[in-house]
Amino acid sequence: MRNLPIKFVLLILISTALGFFSHFNLGLNTHQALSIAIFSVSILGTLFFWSFRLSFAFLGTAILMMTKTIDLEHLVRFASLEVILFLVGMMIIIGLLKDEGFFAWIVSLILRMRNLSAKKFVLSVTIISALLACAVDEVTSIIFMVAAILEICDYFEVDPLPYIIISVLATNIGSAATVLGNPIGILIASKAGLTFEDFILKAFPVAMVCLVAVIFLIMFWYRKSFKKLDLHIKELGGNDILIKLISVPVEKKLKISLLIFGLTLLIISLHHRLELLWNLELNTVLLVMPLVSSGGIMIWKKHKAREYVEQDVEWWTLLFFLLLFAQAGTLKYTGATDVLAQKIIGLTGSNPHILSGAILWISAIGSSLLDNVVLVAAFIPIIQGFQALQVNLEPLWWALLFGGCFGGNITVVGSTANIVALGILEKEKKIHISFFRWFWVGLTVGLITTCLAWAILVFLPFHR
Amino acid sequence: MKIKEIMVKDITSLSPEMNALDAWNVLQKMKISGLPVIDDENKLVGMFTEKEILVKILPSYMEAVGKFVYDENPKAVKQRVLLLAKMRVREVMRENVITVNEDTALCEVAHVMLTQKARRTPVLNEKQEISGIVSRGDVLKALFKEYKE
Repeated sequence: MRNLPIKFVLLILISTALGFFSHFNLGLNTHQALSIAIFSVSILGTLFFWSFRLSFAFLGTAILMMTKTIDLEHLVRFASLEVILFLVGMMIIIGLLKDEGFFAWIVSLILRMRNLSAKKFVLSVTIISALLACAVDEVTSIIFMVAAILEICDYFEVDPLPYIIISVLATNIGSAATVLGNPIGILIASKAGLTFEDFILKAFPVAMVCLVAVIFLIMFWYRKSFKKLDLHIKELGGNDILIKLISVPVEKKLKISLLIFGLTLLIISLHHRLELLWNLELNTVLLVMPLVSSGGIMIWKKHKAREYVEQDVEWWTLLFFLLLFAQAGTLKYTGATDVLAQKIIGLTGSNPHILSGAILWISAIGSSLLDNVVLVAAFIPIIQGFQALQVNLEPLWWALLFGGCFGGNITVVGSTANIVALGILEKEKKIHISFFRWFWVGLTVGLITTCLAWAILVFLPFHR
Repeated sequence: MKIKEIMVKDITSLSPEMNALDAWNVLQKMKISGLPVIDDENKLVGMFTEKEILVKILPSYMEAVGKFVYDENPKAVKQRVLLLAKMRVREVMRENVITVNEDTALCEVAHVMLTQKARRTPVLNEKQEISGIVSRGDVLKALFKEYKE
């Protein structure tokens, strides 16, 4: 709290400087410069005043309206309501799954692993973390992965930190694999016209290649911790008590919940085929399916419907996203991002390799410090601005996705999954992880995965 | 009727530096579920309750994981129970305490207790020092008494 005034002055100074710089040096008009200055307030607001980010988004949007930088009609259009509704629907489905014990059931399956060894545990944690992150979302999946890891580490009396870090690293990588893993996935899919199939064919394999590379790295990095776990497993003689620690009665309601979730995933995975079959606009089924499922859930669980909507939907975050998207849209509306796109092309040329490399690395480094949704929202209108300059956009979208997800591994505050996992660890075990204890392993993983993604984007024609 | 007319003035309180296990023994002896924690300057700094002890003992993430049944006691619980003997009251207590003033009306206290889900509420005097405590039972008894009269 002591640094609040300094941070506030810094925020105003940087934003004003950016506004003036873009007006006088880049030749942007007043409205364009104002939209850049206000959007930078929102970005810096998340960096300096995380708990006030929604206030900054509210005030910034009000200023944009009052200064006629954008009108109401366009503000609503740019707010990306389709993405917000998709996330609302998915959060209600996740609320039901939690309520019926699906996540606890996954935890119990991990605890019941037979013939447990350090290697088996690490492989399971890595693979389950990655796959669950891409099937539900990174924040939901990390909570129950941390729960399982803490129970196992408590039982075998070993330091849980390496396993928590491994799970978070895998979660961030897995979150790039599908449109469901991370809010930036659905945001990019919606803006770029990419389908679930595109993600499965182009993002999923990249995430899996990166995951394999990371498994090899962590096997070496944390080898001493794994030896210690193996030793304790031998001393304590397996996980007999853990096997019967918790149970989740597989009731009819859990089966129905799994059926709803399975059907939702199935239809989402087939959405493009169904849209072609029914002659619907691209991504209609993808965006609508969570609404259909959550609508059904609210009829089935009519007494809990309000609870799902009020408690399981992260309204604070979604409102911030909504206004952030609207502010980023203002950059496009005023033409500021078109000017920026031209300037970037002027610097890098229209070579897609250089452009995708630049976007990949800037988004990776940026998302190591900022919320990746903020960063991606800022990049989207710039990438859209390249379209008028005859640039192939597809590799740029993938670069943005991989940079935004993999960059989250670099620092301790790089993604919400990191913050949530380490928050639980600090609360439960009073273990506070220093910036640099995370940084070296995070940076190594971030560099390796981003380099791999870069190589794939440059050398494999598939992504062009 | 004002709350100062019915509040319990003879308050047993705990010190923030007291051992948490000793403090829990006080709760057991008094057959009460919680007590206020007061510092050297007689200022209220928190509430030490059985609920806060349970919060410290059980893993916090379990609520987020969803529905399940414990068939065995986790090892972490045993460790935390043992750890309680090494903890101070200030590490366990709830710092955010709902309080009322001496001149607060009876119905307002009932209103505060109901909306804030407080089982008992410390009463503060003009110097913001604790001068009494009221429980839901005290408030109910006083309301019934007033209406009978």
